[in-house]
Amino acid sequence: MSDKLKDVINKQSAQQDHDDSLTQLDDIVQLVGFIIGDEEYAVPILSIQEIIKPFSWTRVPQVPAYVKGVFNMRGAVIPLIDLRLKFGLTEQKHNDETRFIVMKHGDEVAGFVIDRLTMALRIKKDNIGPAPDTINAEDSLIDGVGKEADRIITILKPDKLLQRDF
Amino acid sequence: MDEFQEILQDFLVESFELIEQLDQDLVELESNPEDLELLNGIFRVAHTVKGASSFLNMDVLTHLTHHMENLLNKARHGELVITADVMDVILESVDLMKQLLETIRDTSSDGGVDVSACVARLDKIDGGDGNVETPVAAEAPAPVEEETEPSNSDEPDYDNMSDDDVEAEIARLLAERQSQDKAKREAKIAAGEPVPEAPPSPEEVEAKEKETEASAPPPITPSDVTVEKNSSRAEAESSKAAPAKKAQTVEQTIRVDVKRLDHLMNLIGELVLAKNRLIKINDDVEERYEGEEFLEELNQVVSIVSLVTTDLQIAVMKTRMLPVGKVFNKFPRMIRDLTRELNKKIELEISGEDTELDKSIVEEIGDPLVHIIRNSCDHGIENPDVRIAAGKEETGVIKLKAYNEGNQIVIQIDDDGKGLDVNMLKDKSIEKGLITEKEADQMSDKEAFGLIFRPGFSTAASVTNVSGRGVGMDVVKTNIEKLNGIIDIDSEMGIGTSMKLKIPLTLAIIQALLVGVQEEAYAIPLASVMETVRISTDEIYTVEGRSVMRLRDEVLSLVHIGDIFEVERIIDGGEHAYVVVLGLGAQKLGLIVDTLVGQEEIVIKSLGEYLKGIDGIAGATIRGDGGVTLIVDVVALMEMAKGVKSSINQNSSSNDAGAIKEKTTASDYTVMIVDDSKTDRTIMRKAIEPLGITLVEAGDGQEALNILKQGDHTFDAMLIDIEMPRMDGYTLATEIKKYNRYKNLPLIAVTSRTGKSDRMRGVESGMVEYITKPYSSDYLSSVVQRNVNFKSEFLS
Repeated sequence: MSDKLKDVINKQSAQQDHDDSLTQLDDIVQLVGFIIGDEEYAVPILSIQEIIKPFSWTRVPQVPAYVKGVFNMRGAVIPLIDLRLKFGLTEQKHNDETRFIVMKHGDEVAGFVIDRLTMALRIKKDNIGPAPDTINAEDSLIDGVGKEADRIITILKPDKLLQRDF
Repeated sequence: MDEFQEILQDFLVESFELIEQLDQDLVELESNPEDLELLNGIFRVAHTVKGASSFLNMDVLTHLTHHMENLLNKARHGELVITADVMDVILESVDLMKQLLETIRDTSSDGGVDVSACVARLDKIDGGDGNVETPVAAEAPAPVEEETEPSNSDEPDYDNMSDDDVEAEIARLLAERQSQDKAKREAKIAAGEPVPEAPPSPEEVEAKEKETEASAPPPITPSDVTVEKNSSRAEAESSKAAPAKKAQTVEQTIRVDVKRLDHLMNLIGELVLAKNRLIKINDDVEERYEGEEFLEELNQVVSIVSLVTTDLQIAVMKTRMLPVGKVFNKFPRMIRDLTRELNKKIELEISGEDTELDKSIVEEIGDPLVHIIRNSCDHGIENPDVRIAAGKEETGVIKLKAYNEGNQIVIQIDDDGKGLDVNMLKDKSIEKGLITEKEADQMSDKEAFGLIFRPGFSTAASVTNVSGRGVGMDVVKTNIEKLNGIIDIDSEMGIGTSMKLKIPLTLAIIQALLVGVQEEAYAIPLASVMETVRISTDEIYTVEGRSVMRLRDEVLSLVHIGDIFEVERIIDGGEHAYVVVLGLGAQKLGLIVDTLVGQEEIVIKSLGEYLKGIDGIAGATIRGDGGVTLIVDVVALMEMAKGVKSSINQNSSSNDAGAIKEKTTASDYTVMIVDDSKTDRTIMRKAIEPLGITLVEAGDGQEALNILKQGDHTFDAMLIDIEMPRMDGYTLATEIKKYNRYKNLPLIAVTSRTGKSDRMRGVESGMVEYITKPYSSDYLSSVVQRNVNFKSEFLS
C-alpha cells in the first residue's frame, strides 16, 4: 500500500517537474547567433532551415547590390542576400567562417550571407528588451534586443528579412 | 454532408460536361431544325440535369430545366418549330443554367439567380403553341420507376430494419441490379447485337449521331431504335443503363486531381535536370578515361536513362493534354450571337479541334481567341450588302483551325473580310499618339499590322457592344506572350486577314539556346530565336545612338546582352561577336553575345516571391553542373532594348586599367610576384621590399589569375616566372591581357630562359620587360620602379 502511495506521489511530482520544464520552455527563446561586421545578431532557431558553407551563385541583374543572386539548393532556386551590404557595411571576401543561413518563413526561402556563426542561444524572455524607440516598429527588421551576461544581441525578424523591399 | 458534397461534385462535373456540348448542338439545331437526333440529345441534357438537381434539392435549377424540358419535348414531337426567336429563348435558358451551375459550384446552393423571366418566356412559347399538356415530364420518369419497381416489390418493411440491415439490404440490391445489368449486356452480346461500348452516354449518342448524320440513313442500333420510336422508352433505356456505364468507364478513364499531375510534372522536371547532369558527367568521364572498357557500358546506361526520361516526360505531358476543341466549342454559339447582334452573315468553320495542348494553356487561350474572333466579326467581315457589292459571297467565313508545327501548336484564325488597311492603321496610331509620323514611315507592313496590338488602339469609329474600346487585342498579345507564344498576322486588303498564334506545347520544359556573356550564361527560349550569326565588329554601325547591322536585306537593331543585364565588361570580346536574332511576331532584334554555348532542354523554375518581376528575366533553370542559369524574357528584353544606348564600339578604350588612384605612400603601390619557387620569390621580395611597395605572392599562374579575379588589390605590376606548374607565365600573360582592366598592367618576365624565341614569346603574350636570372637586386628594383612609375620622393 505504501509502495503504491509512493508511486502516486512520485508520479505527481514527476508531473510537476514536467510542468515546470514546460513553463520554463515557454519563457525561453531559442536563437542562433551570428556576427555581421562588429555586431552580434540572432534569429529564432525555428526559422532556420539550414546553415551551409558558401558556394557558387548566379548574379541576377537589376536588383540592389545586397541581393547577390540565386543559388541552387537541391533543385530549388533560392535568392542569396548579403546581410553586410544590407546593413550598410562594405562587402567582405568570403572566408572559412562565412556561412549561408537559409531561412524560411511560410513559403518564402532565402539564403543570407553572414560573417560567422557564434552559437545557439537560449535567452529568457525577460531578458529581451524591445527595439529602440527611434526605430519604427512596423518596418523594422529588429524584433528586440537580447541581453546576455556580457553582451547585447540584436534579434531580427525572419519574416521582415524575407520580405522584398525593393 | 461529405457524401452530399461528393455527389454534388459529381453532378457539377457531369453537368458542365453536358452543357459544353449543348451550346454547339443548339447552334447546329438552328440550322437543322428537323434533326430529331440532335433534339433528342439536347432534350436529354435538360432532363438529366433536371433529374439530378431535383434529387439535390436545387429547386431553382429544377424549375428552370423543367420548363426547358417541356419546351424541348414539344419540339421533339414536332409540335413546335424551332425558329430563331425560340432559339434565343432556349439559349438564354441554357445560359441561365450555366449561371446556376456556377452559383452551385461556388456556394453549394442555387439561390440568387432569378429565372422567373426566362421561365415565363419559355412558358409563353410553350403555351403559345396551344397544347399545354406536359406529356413527358410526367411520362419520362414513369418507366424508370417501373424499372425499379419489380425489384422493390418484394422488399421487406424497411421501417423495421436497423441501420446495418438497411445497409446490407442496399448492398444486396445493388449487387443484384448490377448482375442483372451484366446479364442483360451479356445476353445482348451473345445475341450478336452491337453493344456500342456499353450503353451510350448522352454525349456519346450525340457524337455518334453526328457522325452518322452525314452518311444519310443512320444505321440504327437497337438503342437508337428506341430513341426514334419512343423517346420515353429511350429515357428508361439510358437511365437503366447508367450503372453499367459507370462500371465500364471506370476502367478506361480516371479523374485525377490536377494537383497530382502538377506534382508529377515537377518530379519529371527534377528528373530532366538530373538527366542533363548525368550526360554532362558522362562527357567528362569520357574525356578523362578515353578508351576504357567500362565507358561503353556507362554510355549505354546514360543513353537509356536519357531516352526513358524523355519518353516519360512526353508521357506525363500527354496526361495533361486536352483537345483544343474544349475551347473551340464555345465559338459557334458566340458567332451565332454576334451575327444576330451585328446583322452580318458569318459562318464558322472549325478544324483540328482534336489537336492537343497542355491544360494550363488551353485555359489561357480561351480569352485571346474570343477577342480575336469578335474582332474578325466586327472589323473583318463586312456587312452583307458591302460583300455583295465587292463581289463576294454574302456570307462571310471565319476559319478556326489548330494544328501541330514542330514543337508548337498553331491556332490559325482566317477571315475573308476586308483585311487590314496599313495606311489607316498608321493614321489612327498617329492620331492616338501611339507612334510618331517618322516611325510610321519606317514601318513595314507587318509592323503596321502589329499596331492593332498596341494598348489604346482601336479602329472602330464608335464603341459598340462587341468591340472598340481598344483593350481587347492588347489583352490578346499579353496573354499569348505570357504563354511564350507569338502572334503572326498576315492580311490583304479586300481578301481577308489571317492570324496565327504559335504556342509551345507545354510551359514547364522548353528548348533553350544557351549563350555566354563574359563569365555568365543566359538561356533564351528557342521558340523566339530565329537564327544566329557570327559577325565581325566592323559590321556594327551606329545610327542615332543605336547599334545596327545589316542582315541580308534588312537593318537589324542590335543590343548587347551585357548592357541589358548590367554585366561588367571584364574580358574583351575580340573582333568577332555572335548575334542571336530574336523574333517576336513582326518585331526583330539582334542580341549580341560573347559565345554560343548550345541548345539544351531546360526546366523553368520560378525565382520565387522575393525576386519575381525582374525585368528581362523569365525565371531560372538548373544546369547539368548544378549551377543556376537565368532565362531571358524575350518580350521584356525587346522593350528594354529600346532604352539602351549603344556601347558596343566604345568599350575598349574607356575603362583602362581601372581608376588610377593618386599614390600617397610607397605602400600604395602593389606588385604581385608569381613564381613556383619559394626561394626565387624570397629573392625578389628582398630586392623590392626596401622600396616599401606592397607585395603579394602567388605560387603559379592559376593562383595569380584567381587573385586578380578577386580584385582585392589594384596591381601596378607583376613579376612573372615562365616555368610554372598548372599555368605557365605565357598563358598567364595571355589570360591577363583578356581583361580590359588589366590591358595596361605591366607584366615583367623573370626567368632563366634566355633564348631569343623565349623572349619573342614573352613579347607576344604581352610582357613588357624580360629579366633573365640571375639578376642583381638593384636592377630588378629599378625595373619595377620604372614600370610602376614610382615617385622618387618615396625613395628614402
